[in-house]
Amino acid sequence: MPFYLTDGGVNGTMKISRTWSLIMYLPFLICFVLFLIVPLVYGLYISLHNWSVFGGNGGFVGLDNYIAILTPGNIYSTAFYLGLKNTLIFVAISVIPLVMISLALALLVDSIPNKLKVYFRTIFFISYAVSVTAVSAIFKWLFTGNGGYVNNVMNTMGLSSINWLNEQPYAWIAILVATVWWTIGFNMILFINALDEVDQTMYEASSLDGANWWEKFSYITFPSIKGVFVFLTIISVIASFNLYGQTLLITAGGPAQSTQSLIMIIQQMVFNQNNLGIGSAMAIIMGMIMMAIVATQYFYSFRKE
Amino acid sequence: MKKSKTQTAIVVIVASIIALLFLLPLIFMLFTSFKALGEAMSSSALFPKSWTAENYGSILGIGAEVPVLRWLFNTGLVTLAGTALVVFVDVLAAYSLARLNLPGKKFFLSIVVAALTVPGIVTLFPAFYLFRQFQLIDTYAPLVLIYSANTMGVFLIYSFLRGFPKDLEEAAFIDGASVLQILRYVIFPAIRPVVATLSVLTFLTIYNDFLWPSVVTSSDEMKTVTVGVANLVQGANFVNPGRMMAATLVATLPALIIFVAANRYFVRSVVSSGIK
Repeated sequence: MPFYLTDGGVNGTMKISRTWSLIMYLPFLICFVLFLIVPLVYGLYISLHNWSVFGGNGGFVGLDNYIAILTPGNIYSTAFYLGLKNTLIFVAISVIPLVMISLALALLVDSIPNKLKVYFRTIFFISYAVSVTAVSAIFKWLFTGNGGYVNNVMNTMGLSSINWLNEQPYAWIAILVATVWWTIGFNMILFINALDEVDQTMYEASSLDGANWWEKFSYITFPSIKGVFVFLTIISVIASFNLYGQTLLITAGGPAQSTQSLIMIIQQMVFNQNNLGIGSAMAIIMGMIMMAIVATQYFYSFRKE
Repeated sequence: MKKSKTQTAIVVIVASIIALLFLLPLIFMLFTSFKALGEAMSSSALFPKSWTAENYGSILGIGAEVPVLRWLFNTGLVTLAGTALVVFVDVLAAYSLARLNLPGKKFFLSIVVAALTVPGIVTLFPAFYLFRQFQLIDTYAPLVLIYSANTMGVFLIYSFLRGFPKDLEEAAFIDGASVLQILRYVIFPAIRPVVATLSVLTFLTIYNDFLWPSVVTSSDEMKTVTVGVANLVQGANFVNPGRMMAATLVATLPALIIFVAANRYFVRSVVSSGIK
């Protein structure tokens, strides 16, 4: 047995050759280094240079790209702060509905008899299988101003049309509705799984004590699912920060650039402005902001424990 | 807690109404795809008054204006190859981390976890640029390879293996089984549910990915179906809702079928990825 180096332990503390272990780990390690570590380090390197997609490296500039992006008053910082502001608006309006509606849905599905539960779970989870482009195609036709389905229905009911995609706050509403539809299923499934693990005897005991629904929820259910609640809040913040497909396709960043998200801005820097150096620096700043927000959330949520 | 029958009935009815509302966008897509232009633009009824298949004819037929089937082929190829690659490298790596004698195990494990916190946008454009330097833009290579760097699968299988008793492996080892035999006959059957979960999650991730394939493809023939449909949404073709919805439906159907077929695995599986 060439690949084994046993240490002779009768109780089976087997030792396996290091070479063999490394061979098994190697395929992943190669992929990981080539497609994550190298781009990560290379991105940092690019961000310190004047760099274009077509012209390549145009010389070391130190932190100039970062300074330009963060100092107000030039085209880069104007674009960056616009994208950041819009993205933060979306994070602010989306995270609460994304978490609360899915929690409400999970509580509803959880109170359905087991035989039927499976079907409802599948239905509410189905949008997870739909791509952002398909979601956008559908919701753009639902909300489009002229000939869109929502306006057609509103007209039939005697209401006048709303220019959903070209006026605020309607454009944000359309994007929010599309996003909520697209992602609450996933959140709901995690909540349902967490609810399944709540100790049922505690409910019975509290019923004997005459606790009402709200008391049961706030003293038994919520403390038991708090971990998942925090996890989903963090996941939702990250997802909303990555807003791209919906605004690109449904509103095309409009009206008046009010739905230009940060990733859209970075994408334009790289491809339309041919400025990979600025684009990479923006992506790194965006990544750091996201990590800072997530770390803060994590810290505050578990501080008491 | 026993609930009365009326209470249960009310809950089921409310849930059914919400479920129907929830399915409306998909129902809208289905029925609109069978409407002719005039009706699709003006109707407030979901159900078509006169059914037409011309929308499907214009995207699927010979000499179709939009190569939806070609895009679907690209997506299928890339998704299957990418999923196979991810499962292959992740299973081996997780096994090595959890069971074998890997030098620097702690270090390797901590980079797997640390990598989970790196936002994707940070590496996306540099990765694009590197593929471009190797003249691999508009080939299948970047569309398949990039997903193999995701460490979520390694973490998922590793966590599962940590909670799985070693007795069987040790018995097999004493009986003279090799590492590969143990992997094949002991480990693999045990981790099959997690592997199934990882496969479905990876499949849907790659199938539905948009930003990356939109960055690394340029010709119409190399587009994946999400990029193709996105171009339709942005393009001049958007004036015809029926055709738009037909293309979207064709693009979405394979993923929906996989989802419903694998739903059971999937629902249970998200737990393990989530709670950590």
